[in-house]
Amino acid sequence: MVTSNSYLESLLQGRPQLPPSPLAWFNHLRANAVDRAGTLKVPTTRDEEWRFTDISPLAALSLKPVRAASSLEAADVERFYLPEAKNRLVFVDGVYMPHLSSPTGPDSAQDPEVVVVTDLSTAVLAHAKAIEPHLGRHAGFQDNLFAALNTAFLHDGAVIIAPRNVAVENPMHVLFIATQSGAASHPRCLFIAQDGSTVTILEDYVTLREDVYVTNAVTEVVLGNNAQINHIRVQRDSAQAFHIANCAVSLARSSRYRSVSVALGARISRYDLNTRLEDEGAECAIDGLALITGRQLADTHTCIDHAKPNGISRQSHKCIVDGAAQAVFNGKVLVRPGAQRTDSAQSSRNLLLSAKARVDTKPQLEIFADDVKCAHGATVGQLDNEELFYLKSRGLSEVAARNLLTYAFGAEIIERISIASLRHRLEQTALEQTKKTEL
Amino acid sequence: MIHQDSRTLLEVRGLRAVVNGIEILKGIDLTVRSGEVHAIMGTNGSGKSTFAKVLAGHSAYEVTGGSVIFEGHNLFDLKPEERARAGVFLAFQYPIEIPGVANSHFLRLAYNTVQEQRGQDELDPLEFDDFVREKMKLLEMNPDFLDRGVNEGFSGGEKKRNEILQMALLEPRVAILDETDSGLDIDALRIVTNGVNQLSTKDNAIILVTHYQRMLNYIVPDFVHVMHAGRIIKTGGKELALELETRGYDWVSAEQRAVAGA
Amino acid sequence: MSAVLQNLVNQPYKHGFVTEIESDIAPKGLNEDIIKLISTKKNEPAWMLDFRLQAYQHWLTMEEPKWPNVKYPKIDFQAISYYAAPKSKKKLNSMDEVDPELLRTFEKLGVPMHERAALAGVAVDVIFDSVSVATTYKQKLAEVGIIFCSISEAIQMHPELVRQYLGTVVPVGDNYYAALNSAVFTDGTFCFIPKGVKCPMDLSTYFRINTEESGQFERTLIVGEEGSSVSYLEGCTAPKFDTNQLHAAVVELVALDNADIKYSTVQNWYAGDENGLGGIYNFVTKRGLAKGVNSRISWTQVETGSAITWKYPSCILRGDNSVGEFYSVAVTNHYQQADTGTKMVHIGKNTRSTIVSKGISAGHSNNSYRGLVRIAPTAAGARNYSQCDSMLIGDKCGANTFPYIQVRNQEAKVEHEASTSKIGEDQLFYFAQRGIGSEEAVSMIINGFCKDVFQQLPMEFAVEATKLLGFKLEGSVG
Repeated sequence: MVTSNSYLESLLQGRPQLPPSPLAWFNHLRANAVDRAGTLKVPTTRDEEWRFTDISPLAALSLKPVRAASSLEAADVERFYLPEAKNRLVFVDGVYMPHLSSPTGPDSAQDPEVVVVTDLSTAVLAHAKAIEPHLGRHAGFQDNLFAALNTAFLHDGAVIIAPRNVAVENPMHVLFIATQSGAASHPRCLFIAQDGSTVTILEDYVTLREDVYVTNAVTEVVLGNNAQINHIRVQRDSAQAFHIANCAVSLARSSRYRSVSVALGARISRYDLNTRLEDEGAECAIDGLALITGRQLADTHTCIDHAKPNGISRQSHKCIVDGAAQAVFNGKVLVRPGAQRTDSAQSSRNLLLSAKARVDTKPQLEIFADDVKCAHGATVGQLDNEELFYLKSRGLSEVAARNLLTYAFGAEIIERISIASLRHRLEQTALEQTKKTEL
Repeated sequence: MIHQDSRTLLEVRGLRAVVNGIEILKGIDLTVRSGEVHAIMGTNGSGKSTFAKVLAGHSAYEVTGGSVIFEGHNLFDLKPEERARAGVFLAFQYPIEIPGVANSHFLRLAYNTVQEQRGQDELDPLEFDDFVREKMKLLEMNPDFLDRGVNEGFSGGEKKRNEILQMALLEPRVAILDETDSGLDIDALRIVTNGVNQLSTKDNAIILVTHYQRMLNYIVPDFVHVMHAGRIIKTGGKELALELETRGYDWVSAEQRAVAGA
Repeated sequence: MSAVLQNLVNQPYKHGFVTEIESDIAPKGLNEDIIKLISTKKNEPAWMLDFRLQAYQHWLTMEEPKWPNVKYPKIDFQAISYYAAPKSKKKLNSMDEVDPELLRTFEKLGVPMHERAALAGVAVDVIFDSVSVATTYKQKLAEVGIIFCSISEAIQMHPELVRQYLGTVVPVGDNYYAALNSAVFTDGTFCFIPKGVKCPMDLSTYFRINTEESGQFERTLIVGEEGSSVSYLEGCTAPKFDTNQLHAAVVELVALDNADIKYSTVQNWYAGDENGLGGIYNFVTKRGLAKGVNSRISWTQVETGSAITWKYPSCILRGDNSVGEFYSVAVTNHYQQADTGTKMVHIGKNTRSTIVSKGISAGHSNNSYRGLVRIAPTAAGARNYSQCDSMLIGDKCGANTFPYIQVRNQEAKVEHEASTSKIGEDQLFYFAQRGIGSEEAVSMIINGFCKDVFQQLPMEFAVEATKLLGFKLEGSVG
């Protein structure tokens, strides 16, 4: 067994080389995270939160921090670009690539009407006032080793700020590209929608090579009063990679957070999404799809925290599991004392396509207010026989009918993605991945 | 209908009520005699539904002034269930769903409670079943509703029919129908109002709380009252409802201001 | 919460009296000597003592479970007396020789110890503190080959049967409290239904804790041979003390091919007072092994008592086509805490399980459903349906649902649904407007909510459970 310390040391190696920031609070945050990371242990399956996800293969890796980014040209990565997105931030192995990115210009610092899309180092100087109250404040690292590590490496990152009462028309694209074998990167995002604003953001993880590497991401999402964020997250890492991500969302009064996350890649992926409805009348809709095969493991942990009255939450999480893959879902809905008239509905639906596939799901409700409407449901099973029969009675072969229904099962989530080109691409991927050939 | 030997059933004088510290009813006067049909009309927020709930005794509404005498008794001395047993019936605007409690069980318990109060015979489940099925025909209701939870999964129209079915069972002295017409299509409205008309006698009275004149084509009121800002500001005959339908409500409050100003 | 609601949930506990009876109590504390003392007092064979000592050794290496959603001060296991028995001068030969004070106690509790008594047709084994004091209808049952007696007696009279099955469903080291129970259990009930026999009457055990500083550790073992069936009922009460008493029971059920065991519990241990002082810690392991093909294990429980309940009556569905059922109503009020549910472990092919759980929380209480449905790779065609509903009365209580679903077979189908509902002003006003008072309204709503579970109870129990819930919730609604 690998001791957690040697693992941590290997992960923390590169940190001292990070240049100090001119901002004291920034350095302080990083230092705190280093201290905290040093005291936390790598979670094991004995921890309730990691009961079904054994990350010992990750702890056994010998990793190197990313010292220099690969030199990539636009031609290498253009295929990942979205025609709809005018603003794009590109990171290679966690390092910001100005020449591949199209941030908003420096005028965004002066004009309060202009949306800010830029890298963290630039943003933290130009928009310190907007960033300081949020960076590292929502994604807590006190008892989360991976969030602590990410924060300890705080340097490059994506910052998007939608200014007050501005509805941003085009989607923003934040693209993280993995290129190096054995590298550990720590992507960081901060998305802020100020009061009354609306913005659509794609957080996109891709790879150029099928290799072993570790992505350890942290994203913080902040919604002001009556703001709306459509957050799309697509994880297409290498099937040998490890992807650990923490996302913390804070919703102010009457704000609306819509999230669609799709997990396709990684040998082991773990996504923790914590959504806190901090004030009255906030709404969130959280949808997820894990489409996995081979020996993949996809673990999604979500928490929807209703802290104030009149909140609404909707969640639909689906897993399609083939090969000897394993899907894990833990969806907690918490209704705190006083959060009256909360209306929450959650469903976890799982499709097992092979004899070795497995799923562990735990939709959980914790309710401490009496005037609430909460429902959850979970199903695990196969395709509906009636539906199969119906399709076959219309002349489809067994395999064709199965493929169609399997695809439709996942497509229900993909269809909720508002960016057309991405939706089509993912539909295509889902179609290929759910297709079994005729015997 | 207005008739010679009618008795006063309900006497409302200067009624004031607050909810969450805000005064909604600001001095209501209304006299209802047996055999009469009253329509209370007004815009949203004028206090119509509050008035209905105050008469039935909902605890969220605090009475801060005035009096209500029901058949010679102070209504406010009675708890909500005592008012119901004494013959005050409220058909709810939004009847609540009570999953798990069978409608038949609920209806029989309500019926027997009121029968007991009146010193009349209670019915056992079998007798009641025959009795209630007869009443359901009046409202063209499917007997399946007896086996379901109270209002559970009922459509809006089904809930309203279930309310009037309860009115038919309990035979109240004063029935207050709170926006019973809302959410009903024209067929359902015809059935429900037909049911109400058959239940209307010279010994009881009906108060229709409504937004629209539509229902009054089926249940013809003897009096139409216009409520505005917590008061009844105009009373007329059935023709007033038609006038409100064509001219809206603004002219009534303008007229009221003019009178007040003069 | 209005006064009416308040009054409805706050009825005094009716079984809280103490019986003045001379007891034989072992010194406090737990060690090998105490275990040997218990074994000696019960005149047990050597294998039984070995069983206990092995369990004790296991227990020493274990830790109290931390995962339940309950909070309580650390239990001092050395401050508990592990053996308390009403003193009797000689072995009893008939019911007439039972101490009249004891008879009166159970009469007061409504437990029929005379065979001619009101609850005719139910055979009862009565456990007072740690020992069985009486078993009724033994003779009549023996005529059809059914063994129904205290487990101490079974160890003496039918050692081969006890030895064959004891600890096979709940191994000595299964969990902290099961290990403790295996080391120190003093009595309990043994039922053996031979091949092909349908038990002609309901069997029942009534548990009573009377002594303040003793724990109660009873052990129940029910074996249904091929093609047999039995319905078994369990009831429990305890006096009011300001301190907490520990109740750590183990129940094992074994159903062979085509056997059917139905186990019903109405648990009304003292729950502590309205400030959360006193009450029983009810840490119980109940598990049934549906070992044979087409066998069925069915648990029904109505849990209203205890300061803390930690209990997951479970089914191991090993036989092909075997069936597991769990029907539960758990009511908590004041400062009670309940973490209860079930485990359905599907191993055999085409195994089916049903879970219906209804939790009602009032006062400052906390009520959690925790359930596990596990479909093993071998369990092709397995089916589970779970429904977990919560009702909250007032805004100071909590209701939690923790369903764990683990599926390792693609031909399985698992469905889980959960919902919440409430009794509040609007519901009560609707009833009031139809002339129905709030007490009756609450009783109707609660009975409606629990209907699916009450239906599963034997008739006498259903009536008792309905009444119990009425008492329990009196004063909490309004």
